[in-house]
Order: sequence, then C-alpha cells, then structure tokens
Amino acid sequence: MTWVGRAVPLKEDARLVAGRGRFLDDLVPGRMLHVAMLRSPHAHARIVSLDASAAAALPGVAAVLTGREAATRSRPIRPLIPTPVPIDDWCLAVDRARFVGEPVAAVAAVDRATAEDALELIRVEWEPLDAAVDAEAGVRGEAPLLYPALGTNVLWHDTLTYGDVDGAFARADGVLEERFELSRYASTPLETFGCIAAWDAGTDAYAFWTNDQRPGLTMAILAESLGVPQARIRLACPDIGGGFGNKRRPAYLLVCALLARRTGRAVKFVEDRRENLSALMQAAGGVMDLSLAYRRDGTLLGLSIRDVTDEGKNLISPAQHNLIKLGNIANGYRIPAIRYAAWSVLTNKCPSGANRGIGKPFMCFAIERALALLARRLALDPAELRRRNYVSAGEMPYATPTGATYDSGDYHATLQAALERFDYDGRRHEQARGRAAGRLLGIGIATSVEPAGTNLASYEIITGRRAASGSAEAAMVRIEPDGQVRAAVGDPPSGQGYETVVSQIVADELGLAPDQVEVARGFDSSTTPWLYLSGNYSNKFSVTDTGAIVGAARRVRDKLLRIAAHRLEADAADLELRDGAVAVRGMPARALTLKELARTAYADVLGLPPGEEPGLEARHAHQNPLARPMDAARRVPSQLVFANAAHCCLVEVDRGTGGVTILAYVVVHDCGRELNPLIVEGMVHGSTAHGIGAALLEAFRYDERGQLLTSTFMDYLKPTALDVPDIEVGRLEHPSPFTPFGAKGVGEGGAIPGPAAVANAVEDALAPYGVTVRALPITPEQIWRWLTT
Amino acid sequence: MQREIEPRRSLSDFLREDLGLTGTHVGCEHGVCGACTVLVDGWSARACLLLAVQCEGAAVTTIEGLTPAEGLSPLQEAFRACHGLQCGFCTPGMIVLAHELLALNPAPTTEQIREALAANLCMCTGYVTIVRAVARAAAARA
Repeated sequence: MTWVGRAVPLKEDARLVAGRGRFLDDLVPGRMLHVAMLRSPHAHARIVSLDASAAAALPGVAAVLTGREAATRSRPIRPLIPTPVPIDDWCLAVDRARFVGEPVAAVAAVDRATAEDALELIRVEWEPLDAAVDAEAGVRGEAPLLYPALGTNVLWHDTLTYGDVDGAFARADGVLEERFELSRYASTPLETFGCIAAWDAGTDAYAFWTNDQRPGLTMAILAESLGVPQARIRLACPDIGGGFGNKRRPAYLLVCALLARRTGRAVKFVEDRRENLSALMQAAGGVMDLSLAYRRDGTLLGLSIRDVTDEGKNLISPAQHNLIKLGNIANGYRIPAIRYAAWSVLTNKCPSGANRGIGKPFMCFAIERALALLARRLALDPAELRRRNYVSAGEMPYATPTGATYDSGDYHATLQAALERFDYDGRRHEQARGRAAGRLLGIGIATSVEPAGTNLASYEIITGRRAASGSAEAAMVRIEPDGQVRAAVGDPPSGQGYETVVSQIVADELGLAPDQVEVARGFDSSTTPWLYLSGNYSNKFSVTDTGAIVGAARRVRDKLLRIAAHRLEADAADLELRDGAVAVRGMPARALTLKELARTAYADVLGLPPGEEPGLEARHAHQNPLARPMDAARRVPSQLVFANAAHCCLVEVDRGTGGVTILAYVVVHDCGRELNPLIVEGMVHGSTAHGIGAALLEAFRYDERGQLLTSTFMDYLKPTALDVPDIEVGRLEHPSPFTPFGAKGVGEGGAIPGPAAVANAVEDALAPYGVTVRALPITPEQIWRWLTT
Repeated sequence: MQREIEPRRSLSDFLREDLGLTGTHVGCEHGVCGACTVLVDGWSARACLLLAVQCEGAAVTTIEGLTPAEGLSPLQEAFRACHGLQCGFCTPGMIVLAHELLALNPAPTTEQIREALAANLCMCTGYVTIVRAVARAAAARA
C-alpha cells in the first residue's frame, strides 16, 4: 500500500486552523521600518517635478526614495519576455506615470501610518496626458503612445498558420463568425503581496522575505537590478496566503532593498487592497474575432482567430497571454487548420500578467461559446457536437497542430460521466417544464483541456531567439544525523498542501509514514535547492516537482541500502526498506534502523562501505520530457501535460432583477493519478468558483480616461458562499505516461471552462429572447437590458 | 489588559502588532473580506473597522482565544478533516464566524451556514468544504 493517492489530512492545516500560520506580514525583524508608496492618480501623466523634502523632514520618516533616485541606484528590471526595442523600466516611475496606481515615490517610516502621512507631504506637479485605454485603437495606431521611443503601443504582432487554413474555409459548408470580449479580472489572493528587505553593510549582501511565487526568476532580477551577485542575495518565502499567479512584483522588492540600504534597517512593504486591485496583476482583457469553418454534420475544419490583447503596462511578460492562448487554441478538438493573428498591445492600465489559467479562460470561452452557437445553428445537441469533434482516446498521445502533445485522456468519457452525473436528459425535461411555467432556466456545457508546466522555449515564437527553455524543478531529501527525514522543494506553495504531498511521496520511497517526514515550509534560497525555473506557477508540481522529489528520495534510499548491505554483509538486492528500518528480506531480525544507519553515515564513518561519501543527503532536479524547442514550422509546446474536464450547470435568471442563480453545477475532471484527492477536490471547487466569479461578477472597469472604477471589494465583486453552489465533483483517472506518478496539473481547473459553462447556461436560459452572450461578466444590469429591450 | 494607544490605531493593528496575536489576518482593510473577524463581547466584528480604543472595557476574542492550549477545538478539527481551507489566510476569520453561528444556532441548515459564511470571503475553496466543515462540527455536537 502506498501513501501517494490517499486522502491524507493535511499537515499544514493543523497550524492554519489555529491561526498559527506564518505569513509575510507576521514577520517583524528588529528596528523594522514600514513603507508606503505614492502612486499616480492619473492613467498617463508626465511628472514635471517632485519635491519630497517636507516628507523627508517629518518626524518618524527615515528615508524617501523617488523614481529619479531609484534610476541612479539600480538598473532597469529585466523582463521575462523582452520587448522588441529595449525599454528601461525601473522599480518606480521616473518621468512619466503610465497607469493609475503606478508608484512614483516611496517612504520608509517607523510605522505605516507615519509613512502614509508623509506621502501627503510629497508635492508632485503632474502634466496629464491623453490615456491609451482601447487596445484596438493601439492596433490602428490611433492611441497615445506609452513609450514614444517604441513608435507604437503594439509590443508584438504576428500571424501564425498551421495547416491549410484557406483550403479548409474554401471547402466548408459554413463559417461561424463571432466576436468575443473579456474584461480584466483577477484571482485576488486574500493575502496581498508583500516583502521585507534587509541589507548587511559588512558583506554588501541582501536578505528578502516575500510571498513572491516565482523565486528563481526573482533572484535573477534582483541580482541584475541591484548589481550584486546572486550568491549575496538570500530570498525566503513563508506561508503564502494564496497566489494564483498574481503574487509577483520584483519592483517592490527593489524599492525595499534600496530603502534598506539607505537606512541600514529592515524595511517592509505590504500592499493594501486598493494597491493590490489597481496595481499588482490583472488577467489581460481584450477582443477576439473568431471564424470557424465547419461541415454540415458539425465536423470542424478550420479555425481562424484575430486576437487583440490589452496588456496594460505589461513590460514583464508581454505576449504571454497570446502564447498560452495559441497553445490551447483547439481545446480538446481535432481542428486540422489553424490561423492565429495576435496583437499584444500596451495600454494605460494595470500590468496584466499571470492569473489562474492565464489566457486559457478567454481562449476556452471563445471556443466553447462558438460551439454552443454552432450547435444552435445546426440544431444539434451541444454535447453531440462536441462528441463529433473530440480527439479520441485511441489517438493519444495526440500531436496538436501548434506543437503540443495531448498525452492521455478520454474526452468522450469525461463528457459522458459529467452528463450522467448531471442527469442531463432529466435536467432538459426539467428545463422544458420550467420554461412552460415561465421560468428562465438554462443549461450550459463547457469542456476543456488543462495543461501543466511551462516550456520557456515557446517564448522563441515571440522573441525569435531562445533565452530559456523547458520545465524543471529541484528538490532535496536528507536523513538527519538522528535518523529523522527532511525534504524541501524549490516551489513555495500558496495553499496547495505541498508539505503533505511531498511527505506522502518521500514516505513511500523510504518506507515511512508521512508524519515521519518533515517538509520545509516555503522556500529559502540558501537552503532549498532551486533553479531559474523554480516557483509556484503553471500547474507544474505534478509534472516537474514530483520527479525531483522522487529522484532525491531514491538517491538517499539507494545509499541507505548500500550502507546497510555493507554492515549486514548482505546483498543490497536482498534488502527491503520499511517501517523505518532496512532488513534482510524474510529475516526481520537482521535489520538496521534509519537512526543506526544515519549514525554510520554521519558519525561512525569508518563503518561506511569503501569509497562511500559520508552523509545522507541528496538533491535532484527533474525536467519534463515533453518540453521541446521550436521547430521550423514554428510548432512548440507552450505547456506540457494535459488534464481535461467537463462542466455542466443549470442556472435560473430572475426576470425582475436580472440576477443569475446557479441551481446545479457538476464537474467531472481527469487529472491523471490524483496524489491526494482531498487537495485535488479542493482545487476543483476553488478554481470553478473563480470561473463563476469571472462569468457573473468580476471586472476591472476603467473609464475613458483610464481611471479605475473598481478598486475596492465594494465595487470589484468576489463570489461569496451564496454565489457559489455546492459544486459536485466526479473524476476519471487516465494517468499521464510522461510524469512520475501519472499525475497532471489541476490547479487552474475550473477557472478555464467555468466562465464558458456559465455563459452558455445563461444564454440558454435567455433563448426565448434570442440573446447572444459575447462578453463577460454577465451582470444583472446587462441581463435586465436584454429582458427589457 | 490595559494599554495606552494612539486613538487612530485599528483593533486589527493593535492585536497583531502591539499584542503579537497574528492569527487575526488583514485582507482588505475596508470591512468586506472578513479575514480580521473577531468576537467583541461575543459578537463577530471586523477588527479592521474598529479602533482599538472603541473596545475599551469590551471582551475581544481572537482565533488564539478559541484554540485550546493542547490540540484543536472540535470546530478546528472539522475544518481540518474536511480540508475546509487551502492557503489558510481566511481560515481564522471563518472559524470565528462559524463559532458565532453555532453559538447562536447549534443546528443550522446548509442554507443558514451559507448565509452566515457569506459575510467573509475565501479565494481558495469555493466555500464547499468550509460549509461541509461547519455542518460536520454542528452534527458532532448534536
């Protein structure tokens, strides 16, 4: 019996339910200062002058940092994906602010309140400029320029073609054309972003504590911008209160580092919620024009997409949304010919970036909406239309036209299981009865593939060269001198229960119970093994982290067996490792405990086999085998291993208020082998709730001057326990042949098909009104307009 | 206890920074998310919206006060058994809220549980396992 695969209650839950987690804001180094940032009230404005002398003179203020000073004391922040013309982007805005909420100066003071008081004393003379708020105007060259040196707001544009697209459209019986729009939204982890920086004058070394999700990349940025070697930077992550991709902002770490260096004291910055909503990270919005060529029987022949992505001031990873959309463009369907024309456009809005599913929710929304519309046009059941186009189980592993590999799964079976669990036929009858009685009931189906792991080689599509590639993670396992086991992985969790899962994996390898394995909390660059690629992103635990942990544990295990074989004068092949001891198979009396073997390895080293290195510690890094470089046809997997899911929901629209109630919601998903079903089910619930939020509630609204109108939780609405139904989850398990346990990613889960499922249901409910849902979120106001006009 | 504090100090800052009771979390500082929920004289309240001086003479109970010296309370055990949390940031506020609910209504229906929990936000769980945890704790008492 193994521990992997069992619903083991979580180690970390025991401390978290008691309020004994250790989050960033709980850390308080001695003599620490607090930072507050002065932020631009304008979407686009020149900084004519900035006078911070009165702020610096306020009692309790230790230092003020302006953008100009930051530019002289640090180097620009290196982007993950470079822009076509290099653009210098410092940790504070220098001459010009480019979105509402962009920081232009920072104050370090004895407490946050004093620092905020000091902000009011900073005098800025602004020259407001016209704001670029419409990405399509940017494409047409009609928008004010954010960076005149660039000559355009379009950071990237290309048209990628796979297969005979013109032929497919020429042969088609029909073409469905539609335009879809997605608002900006965000997963808004409940803990905001924060960091602490400290500087040691004696060694010119920096220490950081932060809830940054991607420490490997951040280490590189910090070293380059501060001009110190990575060996003199230590970065640690405590418990992280949710991430969803949002928790990254190296600029804030740099601001704190410069203030720590100036003052010689530890410096902390923690976003307040307005700062988080207006300035951290939003999913890119945009417009997608879709053309789908089909045969009369519903067979899909070709797909052509024109995609304009509203990046905001995203100089960190421009075009990343586009790349990921391209990788998922065909969803689970066999579409032989694909064209993707995309524009990545700067606007005067919050930087867009990673947010649960990055790009995939919009891509899935467009495709799954299109299939719903096509089903209606062809008078086919939406489930049947999908069946006619799925990649079948027999075709796995299936090479997609754009270069990804669908590794395993049975999409037909997933959909079938969801329909049965949902009682699809019964619900259709219920809907018909309800409609006859005047109720607005609707059923929505959406299905999706869900990839895991990022292949950085795919950025070559955008940049034309390869700077980084693949998907990998590092881990270590160590048996301490007292025989106790400790493990660490370079991926700081933000609620995914890695302490528990890692202990399950190590326990199986070393013949222990999970309770006997200590797993390091979070991340510490000075003790955790890590790579540039290390971090908590892209669903990657199952495809890279697991291999690193297993590899390290096996090295320790092999060494234990070699030492035991030597000491027991037995053949290593005759030994077994279980219940905390190595024994000769069938002779339990001839055994050595881990404690005894650890004593040999660390203390009584003359007892080791000849040539064996003392100690019982191993590190291992694992890269997923599906990552490949781009080929001559520009095919490359942006992501690696594909789970899949089917969502079915029943909604009711209130004629009086335009409100939507979700009456039933079923998810059947297949993420390969589940490492801990308790964690997996939670991920499915939570991600689906994010999908529901994006569908019905959440939107960052900017006015025509680029002012953010939804900067608090009073107007940026999150789903509550009354908005999210009791999501029913079923599962299939088709293991991946390309991961150590056959596991696949599941963290992005329902955030991908959820918006489409709800939108399809609302449209179905409003069928008597002939409504077509083209944009999200679908607010009561929108519905009320549909019902009354 | 008795402390002299600045009038503008919020209850949440007072608990966290002056008393070191970091189990009370701060998620929005404008009274929506409920991560900072504590009991004031037995009633749930947003610690971020109260000034500490307003609580003069009141009994304030935080997650630390609901946690036994050894082990966990039955409600906390139920949250762990149902994995009614993920990142754990909303959890103390949710448990304080659920504690109040069960004190007022020892056998709530699922709808009543949802209605009570709708006061707070959780970004991780979709609330499904939180509702389960509260129902489990209620059933265990019955």
